Amino acid sequence: MSGPWVEKYRPQKLEDIVGQKQIITRLEKYVGEGSMPNLMFTGPAGVGKTTTALALVKSILGEYWRQNFLELNASDARGIDTVRDRIKNFCRLKPVGAPFRIIFLDEVDNMTKDAQHALRREMEMYTKTASFILSCNYSSKIIDPIQSRCAIFRFAPIKGEEIKERLQFICESEGFEADDEGLQTIVYFAEGDMRKAVNVLQAATSEGEAITEESVYEVVSKAKPQEIANMINKALIGDFLGARTLLRETMVLQGTSGEDMVTQIYQEVSKRVVEGKMEPDFYINLIESIADCDFRIREGANPSIQLEALLTKFI
Amino acid sequence: MLWTDKYRPQTLDEVVGNNKEKKIILDWVGNWKKGNPQQPLLLVGPPGIGKTTLALVIAKEFSEYIELNASDKRSQDVIKSTIGESSSTRSLFGDEYKLIIMDEVDGIHGTNDRGGVKAIGEIIKNSKHPMILMANDFYSKRLQSIKPKCTVIKMKKVRSPSIRKALKEIAEKEEIKANPKALDLIAKKSNGDMRSAINTLQALADNDKVLEPRDVENLRIKDDRSDIFNAITGVLKSKNPQHVREALRVDEDPTTVMEYIAENIPREYTKKDEIKKAYENIAKADLYFGRARNSRNYGYWKYASDFMGIGVSSSKKETYKKFTKIQTPSTFTLLGRNRGKRNLRDGIAEKMSQKMHVSHAVAISMFPYLEIMFNNDELAWEISDFLELEQNEIKRFRKKAIPKKVINKMEKQKAQMRVEERDRRFEELQNQMMNAPKEVVEVLEEPVEEELPFEIPGIADEPLEEETEEVIEEEIPEEKEEKPKKKTDKQVSLFSF
Repeated sequence: MSGPWVEKYRPQKLEDIVGQKQIITRLEKYVGEGSMPNLMFTGPAGVGKTTTALALVKSILGEYWRQNFLELNASDARGIDTVRDRIKNFCRLKPVGAPFRIIFLDEVDNMTKDAQHALRREMEMYTKTASFILSCNYSSKIIDPIQSRCAIFRFAPIKGEEIKERLQFICESEGFEADDEGLQTIVYFAEGDMRKAVNVLQAATSEGEAITEESVYEVVSKAKPQEIANMINKALIGDFLGARTLLRETMVLQGTSGEDMVTQIYQEVSKRVVEGKMEPDFYINLIESIADCDFRIREGANPSIQLEALLTKFI
Repeated sequence: MLWTDKYRPQTLDEVVGNNKEKKIILDWVGNWKKGNPQQPLLLVGPPGIGKTTLALVIAKEFSEYIELNASDKRSQDVIKSTIGESSSTRSLFGDEYKLIIMDEVDGIHGTNDRGGVKAIGEIIKNSKHPMILMANDFYSKRLQSIKPKCTVIKMKKVRSPSIRKALKEIAEKEEIKANPKALDLIAKKSNGDMRSAINTLQALADNDKVLEPRDVENLRIKDDRSDIFNAITGVLKSKNPQHVREALRVDEDPTTVMEYIAENIPREYTKKDEIKKAYENIAKADLYFGRARNSRNYGYWKYASDFMGIGVSSSKKETYKKFTKIQTPSTFTLLGRNRGKRNLRDGIAEKMSQKMHVSHAVAISMFPYLEIMFNNDELAWEISDFLELEQNEIKRFRKKAIPKKVINKMEKQKAQMRVEERDRRFEELQNQMMNAPKEVVEVLEEPVEEELPFEIPGIADEPLEEETEEVIEEEIPEEKEEKPKKKTDKQVSLFSF
């Protein structure tokens, strides 16, 4: 009775966090000391960066954590000026009922270099009253001066066994039956991403049935947009215009990000080569183009243009 | 070279149309030459009808001329320093006049041009030299103070037979074979704008092929896209680097031009290899636009521009002999047409990002799972309740409304759980506050004094407690803003679950 399980079963205490044992041990020391340096959490999606940050904040700031905590998402807050204003206004006030204040800034790697330099000044200015927790997918996209001001913690993908245990725990709490293959299949698709695993689990149980290999497969294939396969088919028969239209519709209407599109295209073609539906030579050439496209998008190129160029490799 | 420059009339006779007006101008020049100073001329009329051409032809009658146009910053100082001086002093050598030409006078505006209109007024008053001012809009407010001091000449659009005649002459000189009907069509579509007509002819011209009416039919000549249209046609139709470079000199954001080129590549090029090659170049152009943006080094633009211009144009083996309708990138139209859908999507993403500590992108990536979950009536209600979704937002995930029966049942359950939760919390608090067994409500109203008893059970260590006490005492006088916030937050934590 509380909506999405990803939120309901988000661990509230450091000790409950799944995986990342070494990181947690270190962070617990900060809690014991009652102080912490600026932190940077890096790692792929769904491995517990935000969860860890929230749990740490709650234990280290104590009862009044809400009043002394500011959470911002660098990719959504409109412009660096908004971010800076909010950080400034927050840091100007002294901590109340807590030793210091904490700013959690998510997805910092989506900030431009200029914005990062501005952020660095904010970090220096308020060292006495506030600590920062930054989180990002790729620490390589963070400028050196910021990295050198932070203790960096690298979050690894969560181990399959650990994800499975957590899923079992959720199933027991919610009163759902789950067989081993079913959970194993979720773990396989999740690729170390706990958020994805829990979403698949909840979606699979929403039909009111037990978790089996089949029910999981059904959810995964339903959740995967059919447009990607159609788009690739169109491109392969030489209908570039048709394929391009599908690509644009998927990106504009569904709002799928460029990086997600690349991942899905990769998954689709790699499925085809494994199933013998695509020539290995052709596949390997494609991989080079896909990898290149991926790299360029992360470097800041326009995803639709790069993906359209990638599509031409299929024709 | 642009044909509009190459074939610009050199004498007054060659200027097409506006014969009456030409006579007035001729008299005006004659009077100056006889030593009779005249009021400045104000030529008003739509673009492309020969105002600048006329001014340049007249300029030949005088020893020297000075030109200013809208792209210059025309603040008072600039105007005064560049022409103010020369306008009030005469040349040392006899009766030589300098002609002052000022284009797009009605374009003076904004903070950059502060004082511009006033300055022009003063120059007109003091000038001992002939002046020609030009403007598009006769009724422009900015002309109001200038008009009374000038001889106003309203110029008309050029009639289409005159345009057709000029096009025919140019086609002959350039050895372009053209169906007269095609030229007629260009002339008519240009709506009296000679410049646009000539530019269109140049864009469509192909030495190996007869220009036919159907080549022109789908053109939307002369709207706000006419320039970008010429640029795209230049890139796709030409293989000549110089021509391509010139075509790309448009007053448009270069990334927009890139999207236009990309849009039309597969419409013009049909060979697979050419599409691949052209798109590779577009992707590289995009890469450098990205690098320019990220590093703020706009010097990279020149590479990007070559990739999308010369790169794309040389990706074809031969120029296609067909007409391709240049189209607006479908992404733009998709974006425009689906604003409602996207706003709905982003609204939901924002709610999720507030409640679930995720970015919009992550929230959107969860939509497919939500769609599956929303098939379940009860779960649909729970999630909508948790995210506080509106009716139309729920529709994003399921077509049918959640049945009334389910809603009633779930709301009852929630109310029941709330009561239980509150009772439990209340008991907990009462147990905690054994030393201060006051009512909760009072505590909330007096956060300052009542905070300490709150904290004692939570914090085991004595020293910590002292620290907290210090901070609070220190803060309270300054931190007035924080108090009410604290109150509400505590209430939330009491009654939510």
